[in-house]
Amino acid sequence: MPLLYETQDDTAQVQIDGELTIYTAADLAAQWLPRLGATPRMALDLSQITEMDGAGLQLLLMVQREAPKAGTRLEITGQSKAVTETLALCNLVV
Amino acid sequence: MSINLDQAQQTFIVEAREQLQAMEESLLQLESDPGDDDAIGAIFRAAHTIKGSAGLFGLEPIVSFTHIVEDVLDRLRNGSVEVDAGLIAVLLKSSDHMLELINVVANQGAKLAPPALAREMELCQILQEYQTPSPVQAPKAAEASDPQAPAETRLWHIVLRFGPEVFRNGMDPLSFLRYLQTLGEIIHITTLTDAMPSAETWDAESCYLGFDIEFSSAAGHGAINEVFDFVREDCQIQIVAIDDPVPPMNTGLVATFQEQDDPNTAMVTTGQLMPDQRSAARMPAQVTPDKQPATSDGKAKDGAYVRVNADKLDELINLVGELVIASAGASLLARHCNDDSLQESTSTVSGLVEEILDGALRLRMIPIGETFNRFRRVVRDVSQELGKDIDLIISGAETELDKTVVEKIGDPLMHLLRNAMDHGIETAEARLAAGKPAKGHLHLNAYHDSGSIVLEIADDGAGLNRDRILEKAQERGLVAPGASPSDQEIYNLIFEPGFSTAQAVTNLSGRGVGMDVVKRNITLLRGTVDLDSQPGQGTVVRIRLPLTLAIINGFLVGIGQSTYVIPLDMVQECIELSEDDGVCSREQGYLDLRGEVLPLVYLRDHFNHEGPASRRQNVVVVRYAELKAGLVVDDLLGEFQTVIKPLGKLFGALRGISGSTILGSGAVALILDVPALLTQIAQTDNRYTTPPLQQATVR
Amino acid sequence: MAKSVLVVDDSASVRQVVGIALKSAGYDVIEASDGKDALGKLNGQKVHLIISDVNMPNMDGITFVKEVKKLASYKFTPIIMLTTESQESKKLEGQAAGAKAWVVKPFQPAQMLAAVSKLILP
Repeated sequence: MPLLYETQDDTAQVQIDGELTIYTAADLAAQWLPRLGATPRMALDLSQITEMDGAGLQLLLMVQREAPKAGTRLEITGQSKAVTETLALCNLVV
Repeated sequence: MSINLDQAQQTFIVEAREQLQAMEESLLQLESDPGDDDAIGAIFRAAHTIKGSAGLFGLEPIVSFTHIVEDVLDRLRNGSVEVDAGLIAVLLKSSDHMLELINVVANQGAKLAPPALAREMELCQILQEYQTPSPVQAPKAAEASDPQAPAETRLWHIVLRFGPEVFRNGMDPLSFLRYLQTLGEIIHITTLTDAMPSAETWDAESCYLGFDIEFSSAAGHGAINEVFDFVREDCQIQIVAIDDPVPPMNTGLVATFQEQDDPNTAMVTTGQLMPDQRSAARMPAQVTPDKQPATSDGKAKDGAYVRVNADKLDELINLVGELVIASAGASLLARHCNDDSLQESTSTVSGLVEEILDGALRLRMIPIGETFNRFRRVVRDVSQELGKDIDLIISGAETELDKTVVEKIGDPLMHLLRNAMDHGIETAEARLAAGKPAKGHLHLNAYHDSGSIVLEIADDGAGLNRDRILEKAQERGLVAPGASPSDQEIYNLIFEPGFSTAQAVTNLSGRGVGMDVVKRNITLLRGTVDLDSQPGQGTVVRIRLPLTLAIINGFLVGIGQSTYVIPLDMVQECIELSEDDGVCSREQGYLDLRGEVLPLVYLRDHFNHEGPASRRQNVVVVRYAELKAGLVVDDLLGEFQTVIKPLGKLFGALRGISGSTILGSGAVALILDVPALLTQIAQTDNRYTTPPLQQATVR
Repeated sequence: MAKSVLVVDDSASVRQVVGIALKSAGYDVIEASDGKDALGKLNGQKVHLIISDVNMPNMDGITFVKEVKKLASYKFTPIIMLTTESQESKKLEGQAAGAKAWVVKPFQPAQMLAAVSKLILP
């Protein structure tokens, strides 16, 4: 299970384990997007992501766009080197 | 990046040799079955693999040559070129040459020697005839990351809109961005998600990403453009140099994309050359104006051919020859038995055997045209080399002769042809000055004549310089001082060993083979060569060859107890020589044959037979080429088809005998070498020409 | 973690050279001699990129690409087709099958590296 989801109080703890790539994007999206709005806050732990590509980035950007619409505030609690490097490449701050 | 590829190169060498072996086998297969697509595929693959691998090792000489071969093969594969003997031949030679390239260039790390390079050029030129008229696109060496203008760093604006299929195609937009960074610096990048639809239709595997990039790089437009080669298909890409006037649509660079132009068109603004424009022509564009269809084109394509080992064919012909003899023996016995039905059946057998013999011999007959056609290229190339304008006219290409003869006549013909072009035909200026058309003509002709095939090489050049030849011949003691040989004889002196009329030996005919070697090679084929020349008009060389080397139709004659065979093709007629006439002619050595002087050869004397001649003698009139003579023999024994057994070396010095055969009775008969006999007479004849002749008259 | 590249070509020397070039640049290389062999090597191990020849015995490159596209764990793996300038149709066929990248034979090791680097960096 690449997406770990736990709720603590009003915060959903989301951790992605392994790849955030085209091979996992569809699965992750299916688990992740419906949970937006379920909690007022969502803490993202991206520190366990080993690999990230454009599809992964796009999912992340999708979550970022959709969360506020659903009423959830996103908060990044950690990011791996793969994530940092990708975000820097695209001049993005999540 | 320095990579040590030595070991891999050894792998390549072994692999390439295997590929070439396979290529050769498939070529031979294709030759016998021109419709064999599998063979074509295999040949193509071999060349393809070799070229590909050679490129890896930077073995440019192998790549460039193999490229041409591959190109021709590709045209063969897609049907724009058809299999013909010439193509197979040049491809076989090309595969030989590739092997040499592998051995020299790849294995020894050396360069090709000049002769091999010359061969390569020749091959390239032949191959070119099969290539596309327009020069092929040369392989673009090191096209990637090849900044054409390393000059100055400039600022580029890059607009990227990736298409929905990009992820599914295995492409990651981010990879291209990373690679872009290796060419320069991304000053600023904006990631665009405007294209992402609402959550309901959003698909994790579809790509909606877009980027606007300010990119600082010294790389040219082409190099930057190439980065996106693999995603160009379904993406919108614009690369614009910022210091150039920017197209208006770029001002509002946001997600919605109004312009539907092909993104590829927006790239010329910077004036950089596109990669396609850079690729230079590999070879001078030589569209061959004189590309005449090979004469053999129409044939040999039906695929209804079986490839037979030539040795097997020879063996068969040999056996059939024995069969002919055995059958003749059987007929002879049958005649002695006085058994009509036996005689009838043996005669049926003989008839069939003869047909089999004819058929077997025909199997080995091939048209001379293929050999002739090979010279088109030669004439073209040599005339170019010499700066002369020479047209080759071929006639009689369908004339057939034995394969064994064809194989051996190529070199002498080539030499004669080169000679004609080199020394015979004058330069355009000289021709014009002599009131002749600037374009020289060479005529290759073949026809059958009295059981021989005649090959003519005619040019319309200056002709031979009679006086110069005579002078030189006298210098060398080939002609006795004071003798006045005929023009014909003088001209034929150039076939004497060590004789050359060339004032300066050019690289063309100075190939180590003189006219004497030409003559010797032709003589070995039981053929003759002679030459005729008209000052200012040109020269004709005539080669006369037997149709086959294996079997002759003979005419049996008897001298005492011995039997001789005269090739029937040369027998014109037989005349009975009465005792009185005999005496008369004998004194003169001549016979008046209906007003024609016919020199006589007394075979009894010639071969030193002892014993008295029979009272009634016969004259067999033989003709070979322009020479005619009467052979005086005792008995006429009739026609006989026979297999030639070459004489052993022991008899090599025997003049006038070309071989032997075994008669049906088991006796050995010698085959007369009529051309040699006639030449001998002609020479003797000359000694008589000085004083006017007293002619013997029959009746 | 080095990115791994599967090199599929029936020519041992091509595999060897591509292998040497890629390894020197920091990629891991897996070799296969034809499509069939290559499918056998795609047995769960991570492959970031596939380089495949077109003309191969047993299973040609086009068929191989189509097969790869059916495998859940590899269908999004970028594929570089080795084509020649005389094989435009093969290139298009390969692209239709899903091999969107190509390198034209004959190529220098540097050209191969450039193509690979566009798709993945080591």
